Amino acid sequence: MDDYSDIELVNLAVKGNEQAFEELIQRHYLSVYHFSFKWCRIKEDAEEIAQEVFIKLIRKLSSFKKKSSFKTWLFRITINTAKDYSRKSSTRRLFESAYRNEHTNENPGFLNEDNTETERLYDHIDKLPDKQKAAVMLVMAEGLSHREAAKVLKCHEKTISWRIHQARNRLKAAFSQRI
Amino acid sequence: MEDKEIKSLLAELKIPEPGKEARDKAIRSALVEYRLSQEKKIKGFSWIGRLTGKKHKGGLFMTRPITITAGIATCIITFAIILSPQFTAYRARSTKSITVSSEKREAELPKTTLNPVEEKKMKISSLPKMVERKRQIAQSDSLYTTAHSLSESDKVTRQSWENQEYIGRDMFEKITPNPIKLVKEEPVSTFSIDVDTSSYSFVRRALNNGNLPQKNAVRVEEMINYFDYDYPLPEDRTRPFKPSVAVFPTPWNQNTKLLLIGIKGYDINPDSNPRSNLVFLIDVSGSMDSPDKLPLLKNSLRMLVNTLDPDDTVAIVVYAGAAGTVLEKTKIREKGKILAALDRLKAGGSTAGGEGISLAYSIAEANMDPEALNRVILATDGDFNVGIRDPQVLKNFVERKRNKNIYLSVLGFGQGNYNDALMQKLAQNGNGNAAYIDNLNEARKVLVDEVQGTLFTIAKDVKIQVEFNPLKVAEYRLIGYETRMLKREDFNNDRVDAGDIGSGHSVTALYEITPTGSEARLIDDLRYGSKKNSVIDKGKGKGSEYAFLKIRYKLPDETSSKLITTPIGSKHEYSTISNSPGDSRFAAAVAAFGQLLRDDPHMGQYNYDDVIALARVSIGEDLFGYRTEFLNLVRLAKTATAMGDR
Repeated sequence: MDDYSDIELVNLAVKGNEQAFEELIQRHYLSVYHFSFKWCRIKEDAEEIAQEVFIKLIRKLSSFKKKSSFKTWLFRITINTAKDYSRKSSTRRLFESAYRNEHTNENPGFLNEDNTETERLYDHIDKLPDKQKAAVMLVMAEGLSHREAAKVLKCHEKTISWRIHQARNRLKAAFSQRI
Repeated sequence: MEDKEIKSLLAELKIPEPGKEARDKAIRSALVEYRLSQEKKIKGFSWIGRLTGKKHKGGLFMTRPITITAGIATCIITFAIILSPQFTAYRARSTKSITVSSEKREAELPKTTLNPVEEKKMKISSLPKMVERKRQIAQSDSLYTTAHSLSESDKVTRQSWENQEYIGRDMFEKITPNPIKLVKEEPVSTFSIDVDTSSYSFVRRALNNGNLPQKNAVRVEEMINYFDYDYPLPEDRTRPFKPSVAVFPTPWNQNTKLLLIGIKGYDINPDSNPRSNLVFLIDVSGSMDSPDKLPLLKNSLRMLVNTLDPDDTVAIVVYAGAAGTVLEKTKIREKGKILAALDRLKAGGSTAGGEGISLAYSIAEANMDPEALNRVILATDGDFNVGIRDPQVLKNFVERKRNKNIYLSVLGFGQGNYNDALMQKLAQNGNGNAAYIDNLNEARKVLVDEVQGTLFTIAKDVKIQVEFNPLKVAEYRLIGYETRMLKREDFNNDRVDAGDIGSGHSVTALYEITPTGSEARLIDDLRYGSKKNSVIDKGKGKGSEYAFLKIRYKLPDETSSKLITTPIGSKHEYSTISNSPGDSRFAAAVAAFGQLLRDDPHMGQYNYDDVIALARVSIGEDLFGYRTEFLNLVRLAKTATAMGDR
């Protein structure tokens, strides 16, 4: 299974080959998790997002257009899932608050006491509008080209450049205020 | 701030490793989802099939018209076989044995470990019958009937799946059998009692399906404790139980002896059973949508409601994606209301078990009645996938609640995705017991016949400590209780939690002991160890004892423990197996069976036939037929082993 390309595995999986599907997950779990973590920076949430991504993947498997690369497609699903998740999680947190009260001294996630510059930067990115955040994440954090990011976000390359430009200005402003 | 700078800052983020459990869980749930989508795909093809997209909306496979080609048809058939009841036998993780050589074979995948002959047989039999099968698939609206209507030659193929060790996606904690201990080095053995029975019903279910259970599903002590033993009750009514002890030859090893310790819980005040204040916490997530889960669960709880007293109360909390109360605290007097609420339950959505547990406990706390017995009854397949699902965190939560005198019973349902490890952790730490409900009979056993034991705890934190006499015993080994071992110092520490015993519950523990001087000793003497043993005279007084037994327990509403002690000596010894008590023999037979299922190296040449022979002469009265059923299970295991690869 190792020597199959992603697309070949998708084809096999659509036809009902479970091993192919499992290989796909094994291959991409870590990168999906890493991206999700960068998005929300809570370990448990990132794990949950990653889990959800692969479940969504199944529902969309047959609609996968072979025009785009698998990775591009996976990024798209991950971003959408992460966005949904942060929307939902505010409601979810309410439910959990009763429970959290029981565990006040337990650290709910991976949080560093001393906020480093890196973390502050991520915090500022969190405050950007979703579209800008997605573009910054893909280009700045994941190192995709503007062209690739445009494919993931289904927009024009110039739109990406514009969003990055706007985001950069905002981040600069935010940083200069604090430093 | 330049892009480069931003990039390098972003790259510095420390990303913690994802939890292994979370990763496994993600893969597991995706694969389950994948199978469901495949299942739906087949249902969608069926021309008269019902499109019941209850569980997972957005199944694109179903909504699209697809022409059946020969390739896909083969795929359907393969899946029809796999999704049949024997589907569980399919070794999902046997990736190694699977090879995909060409596009042609794709449609036949996934393949299991068939030997080449069987594989050939399958291919040959699948081709000419294609047209016939296509018709069959179209006609049947259920996968199960499809699988059952397959012809004889297919049964051969199917059996090769059946014979394999049952693995499925059920999660069990790994068990490493207790090692042999040298009495001179470690004379004291301490453990907590375990009254759970879930392992036995799980094993039964696997065997009835024609599979050997996975080894970690076999907890020998739970198998032994599934049965009721007629141990004598204490003469005076001040104690909830008295230990019964027997020493008799080991059926599977003529050079060793078995030391049996049995206790039977006894209600000190049978007339004054407190009221029951129950909170049913019911999993209604999508995964429960299966005939052996939610419908069985509803019937089981109906039975329970019918055995309760009019003044007992029930509240119902359900959880799926989120948790909610569907029935406030209601007296059994208004039974109609409770039954109606049970009837309304439907399955769908994800499983936020953590939320459910916290809500159920908060309701139990709000309705806390110090005079009554407050208990949360959790019914689930344990597949928590949303919210708090870290077993450790859940464990801490129930642990905290147990100090508030809220008890927990865990009823497990279903297979294929059953998380036994989590259920055990919850029950063990929440002052509780766990049972696995595989059919309505088991529900009756747990919730009607033995309801007293399930609901009324008569002693909690029951710990057993045995000190062996090095003059009489060289080596010992505790059979089972691997997940219940305690440290020596925990015995006298009342803050350390241990198992609870309910009214009428019996608990049995077996040690295999090797007498001093026996040829069967497995550990050599130390060259530099001292030859002189001790000042105690051999053969007299304390020196003639095998061991000294200590039991600690707390009464339900007390916080300090009480101690029962008894020396185990020659007066407890039986020279042959045949003159030992029938119950002891039966317990030994069950222990042997459990160990055989686990491929235990200590069993030597002992086999299933020996187990049958021993159990048959030890059945006794067997009022409910459980022991007779045991004999059948041993026969099934024998068949499964003979046909399988073990």
